[in-house]
Amino acid sequence: MAKILILGAGIAGHTASTWLRKKLNKKHEVIVVSPAAYYQWVPSNIWVGVGKMSVDEVRFRLDKRYKKSGIIFKQAKAVSIHPEGDKSNNNAFVRIEYTKPDMVGKQEDVDYDFLVNATGPKLKFEATPGLGPGKNSVSVCSYEHAAHAWEKLQESIAKMEKGEKQKFLIGTGHPGATCQGAAFEYILNVHYEIAKRKLTHLAGIKWITNEFELGDFGMGGAYIKRGGYITSTKTFAESFLKERGITWIKRAGVKKVGPKKVFYELLDGSEHEEAFDFAMLIPAFSGPGLTAFNKKGEDITSTLFAANGFTKVDADYTKKPFEEWKAADWPSIYQNPTYKNIFAPGIAFAPPHPISKPMFSPNGTNISPAPPRTGMPSGVTGKIVAENIIDWVKTGKPLMKHKASMAKMGAACLVSAGFGHFKGGAATMTVYPIVQDWDKHPLYGRDIRYTVGEAGLAGHWLKWFMHYMFLHKAKGYPFWWLLPE
Amino acid sequence: MKTEERRTIAYSEESYPPMPTKATLYWRRFWPYQVLRWLVLNIKILRIVAGGHS
Repeated sequence: MAKILILGAGIAGHTASTWLRKKLNKKHEVIVVSPAAYYQWVPSNIWVGVGKMSVDEVRFRLDKRYKKSGIIFKQAKAVSIHPEGDKSNNNAFVRIEYTKPDMVGKQEDVDYDFLVNATGPKLKFEATPGLGPGKNSVSVCSYEHAAHAWEKLQESIAKMEKGEKQKFLIGTGHPGATCQGAAFEYILNVHYEIAKRKLTHLAGIKWITNEFELGDFGMGGAYIKRGGYITSTKTFAESFLKERGITWIKRAGVKKVGPKKVFYELLDGSEHEEAFDFAMLIPAFSGPGLTAFNKKGEDITSTLFAANGFTKVDADYTKKPFEEWKAADWPSIYQNPTYKNIFAPGIAFAPPHPISKPMFSPNGTNISPAPPRTGMPSGVTGKIVAENIIDWVKTGKPLMKHKASMAKMGAACLVSAGFGHFKGGAATMTVYPIVQDWDKHPLYGRDIRYTVGEAGLAGHWLKWFMHYMFLHKAKGYPFWWLLPE
Repeated sequence: MKTEERRTIAYSEESYPPMPTKATLYWRRFWPYQVLRWLVLNIKILRIVAGGHS
């Protein structure tokens, strides 16, 4: 009997656990540890943030879902990993602390034969003083945050309806933040809701970003075929903002958020301020802060985790300049090199380096995006990790036949620009591969046939369709396994 | 805000990007054409999904 422990029930963790449960005999245990009681379809949080979906439309309870399919669920957070056991326990285990209301604070050691660390990111609001819900800005990174953002947005809308002007500032809230795509989606939706109410003359909407150029999205931008040209996503993204009368500040590292003012440094080293009435700013991400110990009780956190808290996997972590980065640096099986029975799909793995070129101001501030790994890459890596563990359990051998490098996999990013089946819109972006492979595609870094940027209703329909399709899959409804990641 | 009410400030960042024409905006919301695009985009995404992992 094998015990497979999955930390996290986000896209990667949930995908891994459901595939493991489907393909492994019931004599094997699949255990999920997650501090949250709910699964959330994160891409639709944008619609919660503009009041187009309720919180319950983007989430469902994990306990019922897992009970139905025979997965053991523990509502708890992982505290430490003990891959060699300890003096009193020869089995590898993870120490967890319950967050379930009737068990809060209770600790338990959960043994495992295979560990899938899919904890996702910690939203590191504290890295920017004054940033985040409960302080001076809002966020759409979780459904609770998005619902709070909608409350605050309604307050601004109410003021505009009374004739008061409002300044909206949306973008990245840290010099090294990622997820520009989500923030970009939110600014377009905020504009749509304001325009729908015919209040744009009272709204000053501004985009603030750590990207060197707009359209970078943490993946070094992309080239797309549009209007008889092969053009950069910079043009595509800027056109989207210009069309809506949205202005922008680029190459900006937000360092502090005051009650109604953001303080930021530009890549040229100059310091600036920007006033706002409503600010949605994405925080920096880090690993969840897990520690690790060997059998003797010695701290081996740095063996298992990179300095940013993400798990080390089969990537090439050799420090090298941007010009020497290769597609082969990126991991393909998400296996820890020291403890081979530990895997880290989704956001939990430590990338070998960013995708966008690191940029430093004269003051030494790194103002450039971290690499995104949300959505499709999380689902795909969660699945191949599950498939490799299933093979290992069934054959007793680490075959590792299933691979999915971000330098070989594509991704679709559907940027909603307004919720409406005939009056809404979206930007559909697909990139193939996610990480540029300049050796294979020397002209554009990617396969231009499958790297697409297109605006229109079709993108909105796709995003809307995918909301229901992926929730159907996540809930384990009939034929869920036929749907792609 | 209508386009005519806006003023382009020469040499500003915002003065350079392309603006969609009325025809472009029309095609973006002309649903029969968008149904076709929806099918094309679905095929492209499925090709990406199929080729992304082994």
